[in-house]
Amino acid sequence: MQFQQLRREETWGYYMMQGGSRSRSGGNMPREEPMEKVARVASESAVVIFSVSSCCMCHAVKRLFCGMGVNPTVYEIDHDPRGADIERVLMRLLANSSAVPVPVVFIGGKLIGAMDRVMASHINGTLVPLLKEAGALWL
Amino acid sequence: GRPAATLEMFPSWPMRFQQTPRGSSKSGGESISTDSGSALNTISSGKAEASQSQLEQPESPISNINHIKPSASNQQQSVEMANDASRTGPSSSQQNQNHQSAAALTDAKPSQEKRKGPGSTSDRQLDAKTLRRLAQNREAARKSRLRKKAYVQQLETSRIKLNQLEQELQRARSQGLFLGGCGVAAGNISSGAAIFDMEYARWLEDDQRHISELRSGLNQHYSDGDLRIIVDAYISHYDEIFRLKGVAAKSDVFHLITGMWTTSAERCFLWMGGFRPSELIKMLISQLDPLTEQQVMGIYSLQQSTQQAEEALSQGLEQLQQSLIETIAGGPVDDGMQQMVVALGKLENLEGFVRQADNLRQQTLHQLRRILTVRQAARCFLVIGEYYGRLRALSSLWASRPRETMISEDNSCQTATDLQMVQHSQNHFSNF
Repeated sequence: MQFQQLRREETWGYYMMQGGSRSRSGGNMPREEPMEKVARVASESAVVIFSVSSCCMCHAVKRLFCGMGVNPTVYEIDHDPRGADIERVLMRLLANSSAVPVPVVFIGGKLIGAMDRVMASHINGTLVPLLKEAGALWL
Repeated sequence: GRPAATLEMFPSWPMRFQQTPRGSSKSGGESISTDSGSALNTISSGKAEASQSQLEQPESPISNINHIKPSASNQQQSVEMANDASRTGPSSSQQNQNHQSAAALTDAKPSQEKRKGPGSTSDRQLDAKTLRRLAQNREAARKSRLRKKAYVQQLETSRIKLNQLEQELQRARSQGLFLGGCGVAAGNISSGAAIFDMEYARWLEDDQRHISELRSGLNQHYSDGDLRIIVDAYISHYDEIFRLKGVAAKSDVFHLITGMWTTSAERCFLWMGGFRPSELIKMLISQLDPLTEQQVMGIYSLQQSTQQAEEALSQGLEQLQQSLIETIAGGPVDDGMQQMVVALGKLENLEGFVRQADNLRQQTLHQLRRILTVRQAARCFLVIGEYYGRLRALSSLWASRPRETMISEDNSCQTATDLQMVQHSQNHFSNF
């Protein structure tokens, strides 16, 4: 099973298309629209990061949350055969505020935004309450 | 239509970079204006009305005078052009052409009447001709101003670059070394970097002014309202440098991230192309007393969040470096170009990190403003401004400090201890 390959992934609660136990790529369900997929994935965990596995800024945002004691769910779009569709959706969600589609962060199902929004939110003190509200952080 | 000969006075200044100060109408020159009625071709195109609406120069005295006394204004205009010409160097042929065009404008009325023919109403004709002449005069005046502005800007750039070069030269000389291309970056600086350095120099001058205002505002016990204006202005001042750095990062990220734009002491403690926000907070903590309990909590919370954010960005940058190393190191020889292409792609991510670091710096300053009262914020920013001012001064002092030189090129480089030894031996001999 893919989960066993990298221990890193277990710490971050990877949600990989191929190996995820809750994978819906089995083909039983009707084909999902990319936008719906994003919304669904975003609402299934307290903290969701849409990422590209080779992206260093995505690595930075992952480390930020881990450093705070949060366990984010990471969705690597480059491991999704329909990743290009997801990428388009993300770009649309970011609405010209970012040149790159990743990372994009959702907390409690709500879109927070790209790295700059996440950082701004952390500095102005709004990130932690959001995380607590979503149940991603205690104390 | 051919551009006016007077524009060629500055052949090195690319025509396409000329723009009006207000930015509402595109300059003539050789740039292709997409909107109709390019101001340049008023004479040949005859679109006086269209170009007139584009030429907004309400303060121009020439256009006002034109309305009343056409001949006088043309004289004034040709005088202005002559002044420009004499400042940059004589070019008699151009001046002749100026006079010719000025003369043409004065003669416009009678010649146009001849061309138009006897049958048309004089009143209506007069209007159109006058309008066209007014537009031409305005256009000429505008171009004159543009040239002047371009010239001044050129001078300013050269002056600042000259200062930079002089400083670098002095630094290198005082260190007794002169390694070509190392530290003495004459001509090795990219244009994006040079432009940013120029803007940064200006920003530093502005910073001095802001600091004095903060200082006097506090010393003279300004009201909270007045202090707020000064404090908010200082924040906008910092917003501006972050904006400029964002632009510079697109053209020369290495210049920013290696700190070549800043002084040596600042460069030593540089983090991702600028100051480290958590260090700034640490410096401020002792100097912000007295604070309420809530404020203390806010400051410590800010310190913690900046540290976490810095750590995250640093780790991201570290991974970028790892990835870059893996790309460049080893690999098949014939894949060299492909390797470079991949590496270049990875380097582009550097800009993002510098942007995020600046974003962090900016957010930190804004959050400080939120936590503190107006008076506290004024004191806080004064402390910040003075701190970096001292750091810069330290860099200068360090560079020009007297030192023992191992390699002395002439006797003037003798050290203090050498001189003492000479004196001592002289005293020795005096006993005999």
